[in-house]
Amino acid sequence: MEILICLEGSASTHRAVDVAIDLARTLPAGLVGLAIVDAPDIVAGAATSIGGASYRRDRDAALLADAHHHARGWIDDFLVRSRAAGVAVRALEIMGRPADMILTEVPRHDLTVLGRDVNFRYETQDHDRYTRDRVLRRAGRPLIVVPDRIVPRGSAVLLAYDGSSASIRALRSFADTRLARGREVHVATVDDDGARAYEIASGGCALLAELGVRAVPENVVSSESTAAALLSRGAKIGAGMIGLGGYIPSPLSRLVWGSVTHQVIERATVPVFLHY
Amino acid sequence: MSALAAVPFVLYLLVIAAMPLVVARFWDHNRNKLAVALAAALPVAIYLVAAAPGGAELLADTAREYAAFIALLGALFVITAGIYLRGELAGTPVVNTCVLAIGAVLASAIGTTGASALLIRPLLRANAQRRHRRHVVVFFIFLVANGGGLLTPLGDPPLFLGFLRGVPFGWTLGLVLPWAMVSAALLAVFAITDRWLYRRELPGLRRGGGELHGPRRGGREPLGLEGGWNLVWLAGVVATVLVLGALSPRWPAARYLQIAALVGFAALSIATTPRRIHEANRFSWAPILEVAAVFVGIFVTMVPALVVLSDRRASLGITRPQQFFWASGALSSVLDNAPTYLTFASLATGVVNASGAQLSVHDLGALAAHPAGRDLLRAVSCGSVLMGAMTYIGNGPNFMVKAIAEQHHVRMPSFFGYMVWSIAILAPVLAAVALVVF
Repeated sequence: MEILICLEGSASTHRAVDVAIDLARTLPAGLVGLAIVDAPDIVAGAATSIGGASYRRDRDAALLADAHHHARGWIDDFLVRSRAAGVAVRALEIMGRPADMILTEVPRHDLTVLGRDVNFRYETQDHDRYTRDRVLRRAGRPLIVVPDRIVPRGSAVLLAYDGSSASIRALRSFADTRLARGREVHVATVDDDGARAYEIASGGCALLAELGVRAVPENVVSSESTAAALLSRGAKIGAGMIGLGGYIPSPLSRLVWGSVTHQVIERATVPVFLHY
Repeated sequence: MSALAAVPFVLYLLVIAAMPLVVARFWDHNRNKLAVALAAALPVAIYLVAAAPGGAELLADTAREYAAFIALLGALFVITAGIYLRGELAGTPVVNTCVLAIGAVLASAIGTTGASALLIRPLLRANAQRRHRRHVVVFFIFLVANGGGLLTPLGDPPLFLGFLRGVPFGWTLGLVLPWAMVSAALLAVFAITDRWLYRRELPGLRRGGGELHGPRRGGREPLGLEGGWNLVWLAGVVATVLVLGALSPRWPAARYLQIAALVGFAALSIATTPRRIHEANRFSWAPILEVAAVFVGIFVTMVPALVVLSDRRASLGITRPQQFFWASGALSSVLDNAPTYLTFASLATGVVNASGAQLSVHDLGALAAHPAGRDLLRAVSCGSVLMGAMTYIGNGPNFMVKAIAEQHHVRMPSFFGYMVWSIAILAPVLAAVALVVF
């Protein structure tokens, strides 16, 4: 089994490396670090004033050299930390558009870990939500998103389940990745009707049982938002990981409808397991 | 002259605006730029010589004007690249505001490109520890790379083109009111913004060991100017332009002498400047060669275009100074401001001629002296120079400053992001200027 970890300079990625190393030791699995040099965006054509072309060339060369230097530094740090933990490890440095490069690598690995606040376009942009959201939407494989600050909790896992195809896929994927090993698994359903919620959650547990994973149903009736209710229940049972099946809607639909997945990712203080 | 004669000029301006976006790698090479410039210029040159009355003479005048233009830009470029401001400034609001104010004055003496090249790196070094630096660079572009060059023909290429066409050297000093209004307003907005951001950053700067007020442990490198000989050559350039420029109407040979003297001062600068100063300033010939290549096409293609514009001023409906200010400014925002200046100055000549005057598009000195023409030329000068700051491509140094800032890891706004800044901050100031001055 191989875990892909996307490397860049944010605090959340630093934490994601810790999580990936822990997982690699537990499962066990090998680690593959991926550092990306966003060359296409750095050297993209830009409107220049007369006399500005050579300054643009100098700027492009400086930023590219800087990006390679950073990538090399992150890879070295990752290799040192992984080897110190006794984990089998290798690293890749790739030039290309970050989202495309990650999506090319994701299917080649069993699990992908990335920091919540990743910015692979750090040479040109302050924030890069586009890359993270595109990877989450298009990955089609299990992912773990790690926040910059993790509140220490137990080893339990809370898996959100509403009976939808997305949540079924997430449960299957969770079982396949063997992340349940050594963990107490809870399947939670949020609904206004407690009995119905329990019934749906029990259905999720039955599905996991078929896949060889024992789980406890949790019915959640709350006046809070779905995301807040899930996070509260996770904290209550000491869950060190939250799992969701879902997707990141486009910015427009997120604005109009909101997104439970997005809210959980943004507010969670534990790693979030996702599969769309 | 047929309106079709203006088509190569319009097409060429569109091509040089689009090339960096469409075929960036091709456009990187100055020989390719020269090839495109010649491809645009040759048919026009042939048309002028073969078919236009007095075309050959016009072309010869244009060639001389081009040589003088490039000689001045080249001399200022080379000489200012030989001056290095070393030492460390503190990136405080007071110091930043003072640097911008100095730049706004200096730009008129050594050109916006020279002032920008001289001051941007020290300013970036001074603010290296600041979290918010983007606004410093944006205001620098507004003030030093553009607005500051309004007071003399040395300040900004459009004004030097006017000077080459007869506008007296001291005439632009009459633009002191709009220059002062714009500079004061922008400096005030900058000082307030920078102070507010600085106060927000201060706890973090203290935690991070950034001591912006006092000397650092081990001592801050004292301020100093290297390449002092270049100040002498710079004075020579100013004197050359002033004296020989004044003599040239009566003594035509002075024009050629002026070009030779400017080249001579540039050569003296190269000879007397230590290599380490050029290295510190990352001096390269590429930018000035690019300007020289691209302007071949601009100078030749605009010859018939300016005549057409002057002849057909009525169809454009631009007659009042405010209209000239906004129209020349709007075009300067998205095209280089030097050809824009001449375009609208020619249009202004046509407007004045409609009232019975007999002014030539090749003698803007007469336009500057005409009671109605003076106001129009003031509006064109202000619009072309001040609104060159509206986008990264409006004036040569804008992109240079942006690129250098990004090399120093300042996340500069995108092309349209920058326009949000300029529309929000610069446009209201310019609107006030237009109301008061024109």
